[in-house]
Amino acid sequence: MRQYETVFLISPNLEEEETTKIITQISDIISKEKGKLIQEDRWGKKRLAYPIKKFEEAFYVFFHYEGDSNIPFELEKRFKQTEAILRFLTVKKETRENVRKKRKGIPAEETAAPDAEAEIVAPQEEKIELKEEEKISAPAKEEESAIPQGEEKVEKKEKEETAAPDAEAEIVAPQEEKVELKEEEEISVPAKEEESAVPQDEEKEEEAEKKEEDKEDLSSAETIKEDK
Amino acid sequence: MARDQRGDRGGFRRYFTPRRKVCRFCQRNVRDIDYKNVDILKRYILERGKISPRRMTGTCAFHQRKISTAIKRARLLALLPYIEG
Repeated sequence: MRQYETVFLISPNLEEEETTKIITQISDIISKEKGKLIQEDRWGKKRLAYPIKKFEEAFYVFFHYEGDSNIPFELEKRFKQTEAILRFLTVKKETRENVRKKRKGIPAEETAAPDAEAEIVAPQEEKIELKEEEKISAPAKEEESAIPQGEEKVEKKEKEETAAPDAEAEIVAPQEEKVELKEEEEISVPAKEEESAVPQDEEKEEEAEKKEEDKEDLSSAETIKEDK
Repeated sequence: MARDQRGDRGGFRRYFTPRRKVCRFCQRNVRDIDYKNVDILKRYILERGKISPRRMTGTCAFHQRKISTAIKRARLLALLPYIEG
């Protein structure tokens, strides 16, 4: 016994009675073959992403059932015979849980993003919110590169303010501080610190220019954070 | 020589985000991606209806496979376009 999902599209120009007739015919096949219908769902008329047989919309029907493998076979035979059915798709349903076990190797920090708690509580809503966030950030790619950096810096700064008494120095010379932080990010480049002794000044100038550009974005990002 | 290299690195920084992307499905411990859930799948296709590559979305290999099959199924049912525009 296996679980299957079948979706099929009925052409939109039929009368309501005819569509219901087709649907009952299909569900009769399932019951005749001793299958168990778990869920029947009529999504109704939906617009197609592309025309099929010159129809721009179609009536979607969804079946979730359990039974032997000859049920989908019989169904598909019927689908092919019926002119009014535009498309069909049958999928074997996995019965195991829809949760992936965590691997041991992954450290907790990576998975524990700032929003992690909210996600566990309300995964559906969270997805939608994230979607919106992406949409906002997607068109302005150049700005995006500035904002996440800013967030990181803010986080790091907060840490250091709590930990070290250098906080005042930071405010006095934020430029230098930022350059240092940037180099921390590049730990993967091993000889970086020694090399940077001489040419750092040039780099600073370059980056100082960038900073000034970024600062506006930064400040806006900070205000957003505070609002939250 | 050294100067040129530094210049390149500056360019790299400017055009690519240093932020590390994390697979959004791994974050939520999702195993299967449903082909019926068009709202989620829509985020993983490009303007033209192509499946967006892993390097853009940050999805892990496991879930990228799931996404691509889900998108292909949704295309068959005309829930998503094969090509757009």
